[in-house]
Amino acid sequence: MSDQNIFDKLQNIDRRVFYWVLFITLMVPFVRPIGLPVKVVQNTRDLYLGITGDNVKPGDIVIMNFGYGVSAWSECAPGFTVCAKALLREGARIVFMGSQYDVELSFNKLKNDAKADFATKEYGVDYVFLGYFTGGESAIAQLATDAWTVYPADHYRTSVSDIPMMQDFHGWQDITLVLSSDTGDVGSYFLRQWQAAHGTKLAEIGIAMNGSTDYPYYLAGNYFGLSIGSRGGAELEVLIGEPGEATTAMDSINASHLLIVLAVIVANVGYLLSRRQA
Amino acid sequence: MSNILKREVVFALTGVVTVLMFVEYFFFPQDWIVTSTIRTWAVIIYNISLGLGGIRLIQQHIMGTQRRRENWQFSALFLVAFVIMFLTGMWGYLGTGVATNNGIYSWLFNNVYTPLGSTAYAITGFYIFSAAYRAFRARNLDAALMLIAGCFVILSNAPVGEVIWSGIPVIGEWFRFVGQVPGMRVFGVVGALGMIAYGFRALLGKERGFYAGGAEE
Repeated sequence: MSDQNIFDKLQNIDRRVFYWVLFITLMVPFVRPIGLPVKVVQNTRDLYLGITGDNVKPGDIVIMNFGYGVSAWSECAPGFTVCAKALLREGARIVFMGSQYDVELSFNKLKNDAKADFATKEYGVDYVFLGYFTGGESAIAQLATDAWTVYPADHYRTSVSDIPMMQDFHGWQDITLVLSSDTGDVGSYFLRQWQAAHGTKLAEIGIAMNGSTDYPYYLAGNYFGLSIGSRGGAELEVLIGEPGEATTAMDSINASHLLIVLAVIVANVGYLLSRRQA
Repeated sequence: MSNILKREVVFALTGVVTVLMFVEYFFFPQDWIVTSTIRTWAVIIYNISLGLGGIRLIQQHIMGTQRRRENWQFSALFLVAFVIMFLTGMWGYLGTGVATNNGIYSWLFNNVYTPLGSTAYAITGFYIFSAAYRAFRARNLDAALMLIAGCFVILSNAPVGEVIWSGIPVIGEWFRFVGQVPGMRVFGVVGALGMIAYGFRALLGKERGFYAGGAEE
């Protein structure tokens, strides 16, 4: 160890040092927010435009799928919340459902984060929470043909035949558009079983890691819009004019991303110089 | 008999269902009661499989605890947590129709599960940070190019990238939309062709690996 020169040391910094540096760096923006402006990219703008204005009429039924669990709240929830707010303000009726077993927690968070918008809406008339579904792609395909067989009752065990809004939702023909927010594959189930099969308008609010998978579908027109990770959420918050969790998180994103690039540069400077020396 | 049930019947059922789904997709775009019913069965079977998975999980952890296998303490902890969540959830469900209406269940979900879930996801950020430092080395030209592209994409994803240099988001966006999309499209198309080939092999009885553990013929 003592034989190591400075360049070797640069390459072999203890990982705990990085953990502490990252931890402290992430704390700084919480103490002293930076608040750099967030530029809105086209895929996020397309998503927002697709759920507002002439694209959604009062009374239209929209599916919003919670394809994320508690662990991905930071990435998916802000964008999902903005979309729910925008749709409720347009007068759309929303069917909430989810493929994660903790979907109720995500729904409760959404209701809390968009309290003012839900306050003026009536459950069963303006929105309904169908809850958790199992069955993967088969269930999504069946939802398109006969939604009532997938969900005979909502999350609170009320039969769908007793829910006024559900009288207008039996299958894909009744749905104006679908928004799926995912950490996994559910968005692609909707893509294959709804968008490709029936031409239903579909958009994705995904985690950053799924971005590379989702871009080709956005560019091909399968997704009319796309929000990627916390950044996408912050952009949607800019578009609706209400800074929220994602905007706050952007400071941490700035710090952590910058730190990763600096770490990579430091490691490579050490690597290249030690190679040259050898 | 058991071999017929294990292999031939499963094979025949898979083939029939596959053909029916193909027929529906191309000839009955609106609705077809036959395939609709089959899909409802699929959802029911999926739910049953979840229950079976749960039972198998409990069996494994009971055995692990009884035989004091390595890390049996975690198995015991799992069983305790399972029993508490199951009983309190059922209490809420039977009483009101919603599991979270039970106070204990709801408290555990909100104050134990939620923070743990968020923490588990956030911790990956620390590992990625450390891994990026260790693994991203410009050992050759290919690695150097990937590294440079990665840095641009990372910085373009954060508003600070634009503050450093206005060209960063432009270059990062180019990498995202022009650089990587053709590659992802190739992956997608090749994967889809592979699935079609696999489906045909399964239909022809040449791909039996998933039929009751049967070997490929």
